[in-house]
Amino acid sequence: MKRTVFQELRHYLDVTAQVIRMAVLTVFEYPSNIAGWLISNPLQFIMGFAIIKFVVESFGEINGWNYGQLAVLYGISVISHALSMIFFVQGWFMGYFVIEGEFDRYLTRPLGVLYQFFFTNINIFGITDLIPGILVFVYGCMKCGLQITWFFVIQVIVMLIGATLIRGGIYILLGSTSFHTRSAVDFGQYTQEIMDKTTMYPISMYPEGMQFILTYLIPIGWVSFYPVSGLLGIENGVCNGFVVSFITLAVGVLVMLIAGAYFTAGLKKYESAGN
Amino acid sequence: MKKYLYIIKTQIIKSMTYEFNVYGNIVMQTIIMITSSYFWKALYRNQNSAAGVNAEDMLTYIIMSSVLSVLLITNVERRIEQSVGKGTVATDMMKPVNLFGVYFAEDIGSILALVFQNMLPILLIGSLLIKVPVMKDSGDLPLFLLSVLLSFLINWLIAALFGMIAFTAVNISALIQVKKHLIRLLSGSIIPIWFFPESVSKVLSALPFIYIYQLPLSIYIGRGSRAEHLAQLQIQFVWLLILAGVFVAVQRQVTRKVMVQGG
Repeated sequence: MKRTVFQELRHYLDVTAQVIRMAVLTVFEYPSNIAGWLISNPLQFIMGFAIIKFVVESFGEINGWNYGQLAVLYGISVISHALSMIFFVQGWFMGYFVIEGEFDRYLTRPLGVLYQFFFTNINIFGITDLIPGILVFVYGCMKCGLQITWFFVIQVIVMLIGATLIRGGIYILLGSTSFHTRSAVDFGQYTQEIMDKTTMYPISMYPEGMQFILTYLIPIGWVSFYPVSGLLGIENGVCNGFVVSFITLAVGVLVMLIAGAYFTAGLKKYESAGN
Repeated sequence: MKKYLYIIKTQIIKSMTYEFNVYGNIVMQTIIMITSSYFWKALYRNQNSAAGVNAEDMLTYIIMSSVLSVLLITNVERRIEQSVGKGTVATDMMKPVNLFGVYFAEDIGSILALVFQNMLPILLIGSLLIKVPVMKDSGDLPLFLLSVLLSFLINWLIAALFGMIAFTAVNISALIQVKKHLIRLLSGSIIPIWFFPESVSKVLSALPFIYIYQLPLSIYIGRGSRAEHLAQLQIQFVWLLILAGVFVAVQRQVTRKVMVQGG
């Protein structure tokens, strides 16, 4: 029996809905645990943001970005981080899945392996990052006195999808190296630290060589710096205007496609655990 | 005492075997150092000095903060969590050594190994890529070393006290993160609190955290007079006494609890 593309897609959506329902239920199984993360994660971001506020108050601005604009940048950075945590955090642990032969289970099921790997492990805890992100973003929009139009909302949604795909794609790319190295190195912490430093502050403060790398080679600049400067009309020297959020989406899709191809190539080399 | 020296020795040997973790921390601290150095350079672009500190001193501050962070790595909170989580704590306590003494000795052992594996490489990388972090007034060296020693002890006691929460909450991985962020942000390790608004920095001065990073680093870059440093050292010492007192009391409490439950 051959299913049409439409039926196939509906099947995937069906499974996704079930999986999300299960993920939510497991969270409420351990209420004390989520209470801990509900304090820990927002605390981290609220304090990080408070520091930006204090520093900007002492120094005026960072590379031409004032306080409200930095808040918008920080907000987009944290929201896209949270979304990538919800859907793609598994990429950080791919090495363990390779070493332990966990992919066997996925290979035997009639669904895409990459799809199963990410979506059967949805991390609802990421919501604890999402809330402070949205708060800071809304606060920043108010500080900048932005007009909230339908077009503005569409731009923000498009750039967030793009930014999440870029982050997710990078996690998959890093995780997929495990297929070749056969080692379970957890890149999560380092990726996180680099991403924090390059998406929460304007990358224009880094030297030009580093900016070039972050724009064209490892496109982290597109996660928050370019789309937000486009949104707020801050000159960034590469591209401006409403078109930037759509370029962000394009970059995200491109990174994801490359990551998917690299993952599939890696999976061919996968030999399960043991010998 | 000899028992604990053996533990320290074993821990040094153990630390030598996990090589990747060692390189990992160097990479991490390098990223933090380099990115913060550009951050401060961007901030100081339009002014020479802020809150009585110039850009050069601030760079020294962040390099030394990374170097110091190696000394302030603790594992005691995770060790307590494991021992409570696995239920081995009752038998661990029956051994003829003080359980917390063992954890302390282990942390000392790890740090002694890390001085060579981590601290010196980070200092070298910072000196090559950013600047050589020279001490402002080398006459302050004894004060600096003393405050580092006290800061190490304060940091360890805070970690141990957080670990004690495991005796009631069992799973404290989220709390360990909370503690990490609290210390990172409130101790002046990333941004010294003299950049914070008056009211906030007053509140933070009343807490023990700034005596972990900011006091030794202020002495190092020579911010404030020697008299001020001496006064702050005294407060640091008082905090050490307070935390030690709380630690002893809490330790007695949890030990009794385990004895009751464990029979």
